[in-house]
Amino acid sequence: MNQKLIKEFEELLGKNRVLSEAEELLCYSYDATSKEFMPDVVVFPLNSNEISNIVKLCLKYNTPVVGRGSGSGFSGGSLPLKGGVVVSFTKMNHILEIDEENMFVTVEPGVINADLKSYLAEKGYFYPPDPASYEFSTIGGNVAECSGGPSAVKYGVTKDYVAALELITGDGEIINTGSKSVKDVSGYNLTQLMVGSEGTLGLFSKITLKFLSNPEANSLILVSFDDIGNGFNAAISLLKLRNRPSMLEFMDKSSIESVKSYFKSDIIKIEGAFLFIIEADGSRLEVGESVAEYEKILKEFSPVFLFSSGSEEEKRVIMEARKAISPSLRKYGDLKINNDIAVPINKIIEMLSFIEGISKTYNVPIINFGHFGDGNIHVNIMLNKDDADMVKRGEKAKFEILKKTAEAGGSLSGEHGIGLEKKEFMKLKYNDYYMNILKNIKKVFDPRNIINPGKIF
Amino acid sequence: MEDKDISYLNCVHCGKCLPVCPTYRISLNEFYSPRGRVRLILTDNNDVLPLKVSKVAEAMSTCLLCGRCVNICPNDVKIGDLIINERIKLNELQDNKFSLGAIALKALKNKRKILLKSALKIANIPIINQLNRRFVPNPQGKAFISARNYRFKADRNGAGGKREEIRAGYFSGCVFNSIYPQISADTVASLVKNGVSVFVPQMQGCCGLPFISSGDISSFKDLALNNANAFKAQDIDYIVTSCASCSYSVNKLYPLYFNKNDEGYSEVLNFSKKLLNIWSFFKVLEKKGIDIKAGELQKETDAVFHIPCHLLNSPEFKPSSYNEGLIGEAGLIVDKIAGLKLKPLKHNYCCGNGGMFNIRHYDLSKEITRLKFEEIKEAFPQNILTSCSGCMFSLSDQRGILKEQQGIPVNHLISIYAQSLKE
Ligand SMILES: Cc1cc2nc3c(=O)[nH]c(=O)nc-3n(C[C@H](O)[C@H](O)[C@H](O)COP(=O)(O)OP(=O)(O)OC[C@H]3O[C@@H](n4cnc5c(N)ncnc54)[C@H](O)[C@@H]3O)c2cc1C
Ligand code: SF4
Ligand code: SF4
Repeated sequence: MNQKLIKEFEELLGKNRVLSEAEELLCYSYDATSKEFMPDVVVFPLNSNEISNIVKLCLKYNTPVVGRGSGSGFSGGSLPLKGGVVVSFTKMNHILEIDEENMFVTVEPGVINADLKSYLAEKGYFYPPDPASYEFSTIGGNVAECSGGPSAVKYGVTKDYVAALELITGDGEIINTGSKSVKDVSGYNLTQLMVGSEGTLGLFSKITLKFLSNPEANSLILVSFDDIGNGFNAAISLLKLRNRPSMLEFMDKSSIESVKSYFKSDIIKIEGAFLFIIEADGSRLEVGESVAEYEKILKEFSPVFLFSSGSEEEKRVIMEARKAISPSLRKYGDLKINNDIAVPINKIIEMLSFIEGISKTYNVPIINFGHFGDGNIHVNIMLNKDDADMVKRGEKAKFEILKKTAEAGGSLSGEHGIGLEKKEFMKLKYNDYYMNILKNIKKVFDPRNIINPGKIF
Repeated sequence: MEDKDISYLNCVHCGKCLPVCPTYRISLNEFYSPRGRVRLILTDNNDVLPLKVSKVAEAMSTCLLCGRCVNICPNDVKIGDLIINERIKLNELQDNKFSLGAIALKALKNKRKILLKSALKIANIPIINQLNRRFVPNPQGKAFISARNYRFKADRNGAGGKREEIRAGYFSGCVFNSIYPQISADTVASLVKNGVSVFVPQMQGCCGLPFISSGDISSFKDLALNNANAFKAQDIDYIVTSCASCSYSVNKLYPLYFNKNDEGYSEVLNFSKKLLNIWSFFKVLEKKGIDIKAGELQKETDAVFHIPCHLLNSPEFKPSSYNEGLIGEAGLIVDKIAGLKLKPLKHNYCCGNGGMFNIRHYDLSKEITRLKFEEIKEAFPQNILTSCSGCMFSLSDQRGILKEQQGIPVNHLISIYAQSLKE
């Protein structure tokens, strides 16, 4: 790397906010995918002016610049594919302003989702987006990937909460998008364009988010079925209710197996092949009524196991187990191809049985879990790194599954983004004309293609 | 030590361990994070990239071995053990330069006889002081253990009349012997009042944690064997310690570093199996149907209990009172002290001590301690309680860090309990 650039960074930010030794760079070469790329330098800005100057230096030296939050991404978004500069937002971790009258909060991008949640909860408020990584992923990363989690079924995902952004474009210019007014149609909606842009259009420096009042109470139900058809119909019935669940997660047999140890406490014993975690929230009265109503409906579909949690401790155990699935799949193979497809809800069953067939055809274990309520299935193809033939079969299985998803009118990624992991599959869904529109949009914001190049397309 | 630990291969880089790591929370730099350290260890073991030894050593030596990352990792990556192994390896490479505190450590080990006569006062403190401008508390008085073995007979009156005699050994660890001897006295007194006869052998010494955490495995093993032998001949079922770091060292690390064919393997394992931290021991007594004696403080007061990172609850522990819900097994004793109100801490952050970490990386350590005091300040207690020698050091050393808390007393919970029994 150009020593001169490093020197200029050191002048700009001070030595202790610039990393350039190999051992340090190694610690910024990965995210939660199994791919790795070494950056040439890592920098830690503290404000928008510094970010702007960083981008301008990168333009001067014609070097790629990639934003990074906690590096928990599942699509390679924060990997410096072409080397260059990684901008770590972790030191920009302040909550800047809370506007309780209008119910908006403005944060720096490095704030951890869980820290924002608990900051607001203390004041009686609620920030719903809850990716399973909420305890360690950053708001900046959440916005860039439009992350969502179990609560999406009732509360939506990150895009439903982003009201305004300050960002630095590929020209190094600082712009502001959106506003705190609920109704805002002055020009194109650039805020929403930025949400889910995977760090390819600009680097966010301030994020204004909407929040809600805290629901007074919540309660969890665990239910499982031997017959997948019964389970499916039961779940659909709950979604039709006016008081629909605030969470409707499902786990297939192997994902249940992978976290069973979490359930070993005598609190919960799991049986059955298909499990749902269901949450009701609202006022205490509403929760009581909803739980009774859900239970009544579920019982009509002959569940093999039905459990309503009373205590906080039980709830905690259940949610810990849900969060642990993804990282604990490793026992099925040391290489994971993780697809988070989303299909219309009435296609879920068809999709799952298709996947089961594919798993047999290609002889690879495939583990499914996810957010039933919004059709988002995490399809995990588990492989052994060293078995070249198996890896090939896994890639084929992935292709078939994504093709089927596109045919079913679904999305190639519900929440993790395209990044590196799925870019060659974009053509399964979009034609050249459409892809060109995307590329031209990128050009407007980043004419020299230095911001996170090589991602999405 | 069984087969070489290769659990670094299990790491999927999820990032879950980042926010729980005290050194990452302060630096916000992944080089000082569990995930980063595991990544360096992987590379170092696969020899794919040439790494600078001094730089790798920096990442390893800044780990407090607090175990928070291991507790949260869903993939069973044994980060603490991996880091210790890496330190042992680096030690060999660097010809012992890695352990900055080598001189102090030598004193701890070789002058065992003097140590028993409060050698920390004579031998170690000046040396540690030279190493760093760090404040080391003045010993409270004469060392607890002096020239001979002690036996304390159970107080059979106060403790539920006739029942089988329970005999326990007491393992003081060096700090509670030399610097805070009163804590040893209070522990023994509390046991005796609950009908336990206590044996305190003279020949016990340091638990070895400062050595193994500096990668000095041979001194560590010498000390382990010495401790095992000190208690060996006695007919006792339990050995109790009131220092969380000692129990971590004896319970977790002794079994890890002794091979089947090592001299004294079975003695050391036996010692390790019998040793319990004081709170688990009270739970054992309770399970035996013994009524743990209740005490009362003359003046009502409130406190926070800083949970030491190395305080291990017994595996089957389930909280059965409000206080146990807050702080684990130690909550049982809080339940028994009338007039003591426990206030919750929001995050239960690390105190920043980490044994030798505090000596090597004083400034980083202080930053971590500052975070601790921020949360203590929020709880606004009248006392700070804990149950680990390292934590006592950091908390009393740094209590001036925030103006509001300059004079706040820092005590071992067992001392408050002993006091409540007297009153
Ligand atoms: C165990 C586990 C569970 C997960 N569960 C979920 C889940 O349930 N739902 C879900 O949606 N995701 C999930 N994820 C994926 C991941 O956590 C999310 O994508 C998260 O939003 C990434 O945040 P991060 O801070 O780690 O960002 P990173 O991974 O560091 O970056 C992600 C992308 O954001 C960009 N970026 C980061 N900060 C900025 C910024 N300030 N400006 C512009 N671009 C920026 C990066 O360039 C990159 O493209 C999970 C991941 C793991 C490891
Ligand atoms: S939690 Fe475990 S698997 Fe995840 S990054 Fe940390 S060490 Fe690796
Ligand atoms: S043991 Fe503690 S200090 Fe060391 S890496 Fe783990 S969390 Fe960080």
